[in-house]
Amino acid sequence: MAQKRKSLIKIKPKKFKDGEVVKVSFMVMHPMATGTTKNKKTKELIPAKFINSVKFNYNGKEITNMTVWEALSTNPVFTTYMKINGKGKLTVTYTDNTGEVNEKSKKIKPKG
Amino acid sequence: MMQRRDFFKKLGVVAAVSAVAPVMSFAGDKPKSKNAMSYKTAVDAITGGKTPKKSSKVKLKVPEIAENGAVVPVTVNVESPMTSSDYVKAIHILASKNFNARCIDVNLTPANGKAMFSTRIKLGGTQEVSALIELSNGDFLIATQSVKVTIGGCG
Repeated sequence: MAQKRKSLIKIKPKKFKDGEVVKVSFMVMHPMATGTTKNKKTKELIPAKFINSVKFNYNGKEITNMTVWEALSTNPVFTTYMKINGKGKLTVTYTDNTGEVNEKSKKIKPKG
Repeated sequence: MMQRRDFFKKLGVVAAVSAVAPVMSFAGDKPKSKNAMSYKTAVDAITGGKTPKKSSKVKLKVPEIAENGAVVPVTVNVESPMTSSDYVKAIHILASKNFNARCIDVNLTPANGKAMFSTRIKLGGTQEVSALIELSNGDFLIATQSVKVTIGGCG
């Protein structure tokens, strides 16, 4: 049940060397509905829909894994640090409480 | 005359606040979530009975006054060498009065290089936000800060 969602992986600084520790942030457009709010016009409950888990994979190795609950804001941002260890690919996999699974990846090319 | 004028001004403020207050406190008829968990049970579930220590190594950055409870930026910074023998295992962010006190559990590894996490959370009202840190040697550290919320974000 994959659905197209806008997501983005940002790495700061943009140019980095091998072995450097860089800031990685992952953003995704997601409603993060808690299941307790009502639609103001129809007065019906909005069903719960929130991200369950987020996993950061770098060259097939799991760096960070997160268990997420309802209390994150809509369109959440997850920011951590990461040690660059050679050329490769950073893949972020995120799962929904309704069973939606999505993926986003970014190539990593250290210079120098 | 001035005193009397001041008295009426104050009376007006009190009346305005008490008229708004009942509209804002509609917590009673809210539907309950399946994941509802109080702050105490959440802490017990994470630590397994151990009491977390307060430490200056943990730096929790939350605004003291949040105008909008739907978007409250939270940053947790932990001083740690992040080597394979001594690293931060997990960062938990908890909100004491949300219906589900647990916001996020972040499991880190030495490959992170730096123990830092930041995100944006929703707060239902004025309450305390805390960061519970699990170290690789089994110890727990905690940092707490209270946040004033003028408009709640969870309902």
